[in-house]
Amino acid sequence: MATKPHRLHQMASVLSSAKKPRMMSTNSSMKEEFAKHADYLNQLNDKRERVVKASRDVTMNSKKVIFQVHRANKDNREEVLSKAEKDLAAVTEQFMSRLVKELKGNDFWKLRRAYTFAVQEYVEAATFCRFCRKGSLLDLKEINSTLLQLSDQYEEPLQINALDYLLGLADLTGELMRLAIGRISDGEVEYAEKICRFVQDIYRELTLLAPIMNDNADMKKKMETMLQSVMKIENACFSVHVRGSEYIPLLGTNDVDYSFMGLPDFDS
Amino acid sequence: MRPALRFALFFSVSTTSFSFTRLLPRNIHLSSPLRFSLHLHSFSSGSPPPMGNTTPSDAAATVVVAGGLDGDGGVQEPSIPFSYSMETQFEHFRAQMEESGNIRERIRSVASEIEATLRVMHAGLLLVHQSLPAPEVLKKANAQIEVLRILYDRLAQILIECPGQYYRYHSDWRSETQTAVSLLAFSYWLETGSLLTHAEAENELGLDASEFGLDIEDYLTGLCFMSNELPRYVVNQVTAGDYDCPRNVLKFLTELHSAFRMLNLRNDFLRKKFDGMKYDLRRVEEVYYDVKIRGLAPAESTT
Repeated sequence: MATKPHRLHQMASVLSSAKKPRMMSTNSSMKEEFAKHADYLNQLNDKRERVVKASRDVTMNSKKVIFQVHRANKDNREEVLSKAEKDLAAVTEQFMSRLVKELKGNDFWKLRRAYTFAVQEYVEAATFCRFCRKGSLLDLKEINSTLLQLSDQYEEPLQINALDYLLGLADLTGELMRLAIGRISDGEVEYAEKICRFVQDIYRELTLLAPIMNDNADMKKKMETMLQSVMKIENACFSVHVRGSEYIPLLGTNDVDYSFMGLPDFDS
Repeated sequence: MRPALRFALFFSVSTTSFSFTRLLPRNIHLSSPLRFSLHLHSFSSGSPPPMGNTTPSDAAATVVVAGGLDGDGGVQEPSIPFSYSMETQFEHFRAQMEESGNIRERIRSVASEIEATLRVMHAGLLLVHQSLPAPEVLKKANAQIEVLRILYDRLAQILIECPGQYYRYHSDWRSETQTAVSLLAFSYWLETGSLLTHAEAENELGLDASEFGLDIEDYLTGLCFMSNELPRYVVNQVTAGDYDCPRNVLKFLTELHSAFRMLNLRNDFLRKKFDGMKYDLRRVEEVYYDVKIRGLAPAESTT
């Protein structure tokens, strides 16, 4: 390569003369431009860091709420659930409010990766509490109205989006599976069957939604796990049915409540 | 197998007929004392239907049981409103998802047009490596800028429909935008010898920062892409006899590299691209060295 330029040197110098006079930018203007970008990136990183921290707190404490709910059985329901609900309210007030403060305008979608798992966990905890309390599905509108109360003073309130809500619901079925198995071993078979139908409902609805969701790679994985959970509950309920028929004579001797309460009469 | 079948039944029910879907909640309610009714069935027939299909006796049982339930403060609940609202909520989600799916499709179609335009522009700019005079090359390439502007305007129009969701769909046009910045910056550099600033890049694409701006990270990534083009440019220019070129490019690239080092980058894509820039720098240095050591560089050069 070194010899070639020699040969071309003479004739090429004429061609290249047109380009020579171009001069480079002054060093300082480029530095100035980049100083702006450095500020922007620093701010963005700081914000992301704060969101990540708040998210970690939300995740951790939402998990605690879920564990708390799992401690409920037919004897301590009221007490345990009240505590769980109190804890959940604390998560909302202390940690979700921090997220709310950070995620305004464009940041909501820009930083979604940083907080999505926390919000999913939160949705999971909130819906789980509600199901155990009332047997119904806490809908997104209701969650968001709770958050709206947090953000009165800010002009753009954070609203959980449908994607995070649905991803959270997908996780909920895993918890419900544990709950159902636990209830069955405690003899609350009716409850387990109720859970079973509820989970079937959710799974069916999500089947319609999963393929049209934005980033559905996560959701696809969750759908598979969810089917596993649904089937585990169904199989557990099935086993109890089959074995349960051995106790049928008891049905006649006890009052109707028996079939609903699980085995309270049986215990006594 | 059986759960799957049961699910399939439900699935077809809820998709095919709306009137039937309306009945669904009630079915669920009726089947809530499932164990009870199943036991009744199991006396007569071996396998009861999985869901729904309630017989009058089931319905009667429900009334009794539901009455006895209210006291225990636990499991029960009015299933009808819950299931019904569940259904409507999910229908609402479906509509939302379909809408955002449509937006995404529209964005993607514009993005693919942008990509095609950029290919033409890129191919035009590549002529610079074949020692065509820069003004001629630039004229050809810059003709595409107008097309780009129109396309970016269309993109902006779509995104105005969903305020605040710029970054929701960002990934659909991100790489195109990065390429666009790299080409614009390269042609700008060929023309002026200086760096295309962020504001200038926005301007060239006809973007309005308040509505649809150019993401800073995209801009910076674009600059990294541009730097990848420079070693090749230098090599070809020297081959064509422009011995002054390496010095200019080296100066520019050194400045750009040190400017980038002012940034606190995260461990992400941009960081990786920036890390690649040092190889471009080294290559340009080598070329400069080759030229200089043989005394080919013009006398006035002092670096």
